[in-house]
Amino acid sequence: MLINVHNLVKRYGNLLALNHFHLRVEKGEIVGLLGPNGSGKTTAINCILALLKYDKGEIKLFGKTMTPQAYDIKQKIGLVMQNVAVFDELRVEENIDYFCGLYIRDKALRRRLVQEAIVFVGLEKFRKFYPMKLSGGLLRRLNIACGIAHQPELLIFDEPTVGVDPQSRNSILEGIRELNRRGATVIYTSHYMEEVEQLCSRIVIMDQGKTLATGTTEELKALINQGETISVEIYMLEPEHLARIRQLPHVTRAHYASDRLSVHYDGGEHNLLDLLDYLKSQDISFSRVFSEQPTLNDVFLEITGRQLRD
Amino acid sequence: MFAHIYSYRLKCLLRDRELVFWTLLFPLLMATFFYFTFGHLTSEQEKFEPVPAAVIDNRAYRENPHLQQVLAVLSTAGEGRMIELAVAEEAGAEKLLEEGAVSGIITAGEPVGLTVKQAGLKQSILKAILDEYAYTSRTVSSIISKNPPAARLLVKELERRPTYTEAVSFSGVPPDTMLAYFYALIAMACLYGSFWGLRNTIDLQADLSARGARRSTAPTHKLQVVLSDTLAALTISFIEVLVLLVYLAAVLKVSFGNQVFYILLTCLAGCLAGVSFGNLIGTVIRGSEGVKIGILIGGNMTLCYLAGLMWVDMKYIIATRVPLLSYINPAALIADAFYSLYLFDGHHRFFLSIGLLCLLSALMSLISIFRLRRERYGSI
Repeated sequence: MLINVHNLVKRYGNLLALNHFHLRVEKGEIVGLLGPNGSGKTTAINCILALLKYDKGEIKLFGKTMTPQAYDIKQKIGLVMQNVAVFDELRVEENIDYFCGLYIRDKALRRRLVQEAIVFVGLEKFRKFYPMKLSGGLLRRLNIACGIAHQPELLIFDEPTVGVDPQSRNSILEGIRELNRRGATVIYTSHYMEEVEQLCSRIVIMDQGKTLATGTTEELKALINQGETISVEIYMLEPEHLARIRQLPHVTRAHYASDRLSVHYDGGEHNLLDLLDYLKSQDISFSRVFSEQPTLNDVFLEITGRQLRD
Repeated sequence: MFAHIYSYRLKCLLRDRELVFWTLLFPLLMATFFYFTFGHLTSEQEKFEPVPAAVIDNRAYRENPHLQQVLAVLSTAGEGRMIELAVAEEAGAEKLLEEGAVSGIITAGEPVGLTVKQAGLKQSILKAILDEYAYTSRTVSSIISKNPPAARLLVKELERRPTYTEAVSFSGVPPDTMLAYFYALIAMACLYGSFWGLRNTIDLQADLSARGARRSTAPTHKLQVVLSDTLAALTISFIEVLVLLVYLAAVLKVSFGNQVFYILLTCLAGCLAGVSFGNLIGTVIRGSEGVKIGILIGGNMTLCYLAGLMWVDMKYIIATRVPLLSYINPAALIADAFYSLYLFDGHHRFFLSIGLLCLLSALMSLISIFRLRRERYGSI
């Protein structure tokens, strides 16, 4: 096991930021740490990296207890932070070389790794640029290059795509997948559902400092009491028909508005056929039909609640 | 690793244009300002104008060759000229006095008379000259009447006119009050090394910057990073002070004596104190970067003010009334080290100042390292 966080408690005064938090990561996984703002994701990462003091619990990385002096463990970790952590006074290539040099002493090896990192994030044309001259997306890519240049075994990405355009975001996600294919284990924190769903092999949903659920996307979807949703465009639906549709097997909710009937199910295998059979049998004319499976967003909202967060 | 961190730190700091302006260009501008304002005023104040006076051309004057000779010497053009003399009839002299063309009328006789229209510095100078003449005349007459053989020796002694006091520095350079300002300015430039120290601590602490957080996660010993960064800051600060010294000496022609090694040692110790002061503020003061910068600027200005940068007498007021403050104020110690080099031949006082500076720097650095060595933070 690469990471084993057990029973972690972290308080900021009276605020309980991590409430007996648990996390296990196996080698080769991409684990998504998913939670609303203030749920404790970044606090957990900072504790794992031995940047923050914590009140209780145990953190083991690569089988050893993580401490600020555990330089052998730190050597194997790469960090890409939420805030861009580069020097404005150093050019793109110098920034990458500087941070890589904190890990790699061999100059020839470092030179090669820096070049690889530049190519990897696609900053070849911007080697001599100062960070101030880069766009938001390019700056994020530089931030990533500084964290991955030394080719660590464990990569921690803390919301690396905040404020990034879709093209850059896609490029970043593809890069992370590639790093994982090359053997890196990845922890990825975000509150963008689609990113996590698309990228991670396992997801940990946390809120108020606690682990609420963990599993693959499918496993998480199975946790919630929600199946597919079928929508049908109907020009005229009498209330008595809507009432009868609500009586069909596995239907949990049904409503009709703006010429559209939406029917929610909690399971069942032939829901679409059953609904269409009913509509035909009653000579109800309809046009387009849609079937939607529950998304990670539904799972997230179901688990963490729908109320607004500060 | 040390060289890697050090070289990149040099690049980072040198490319920080704002800091380079405040730590290098600002002292140069201040030096130029001092030179063209205070320097000019001081030289004007110190310039002596001969006092215009009239002597009445009467019988007593014509029969007094001694007085004629004394006045002739004092009014001869040259560096020692003290009187601008007009010889006139009584009515003419009175007219000159009335018109303000002369400050006083000398009337030969026993005693020699001085008529003035008003009291003032020029009139006092004339009175002092005549008093000295009268005193010397009486002394000579008295010696000749009581001991005639001593007359020859007396004449010799009077011709020699020995001076028993002279304002000179022990190190053989002429004294200059303007130097006090320039010394305080160099002290300020040394203390401006604190800006580099502060910048270092911000880039080192995970709770102050993302860069600090990233550097804290690297497998590099914190002390190694602290020392590399501090050495880079010290290098830049020292070079900047050297540039200021060269500018003062070569362009503004400010004389610092000829003890180059000790002058450089003072600058180095001063810069070390400056960088350490910045480290201290960056690690001990709680608050944002803006708060720390504000406190640092205020602190620097206060220390320089107490060392006499804005008002040169303040240094002496502090030294006489709160001497302890002089011993713990790095700016005062730097200025004092320069003074002692300039004014004294021995190095006792110089090494006392340098020793205290180093002690202060060591104390500030120890506190900073103690604060920086904590590697886990309460909050980020």
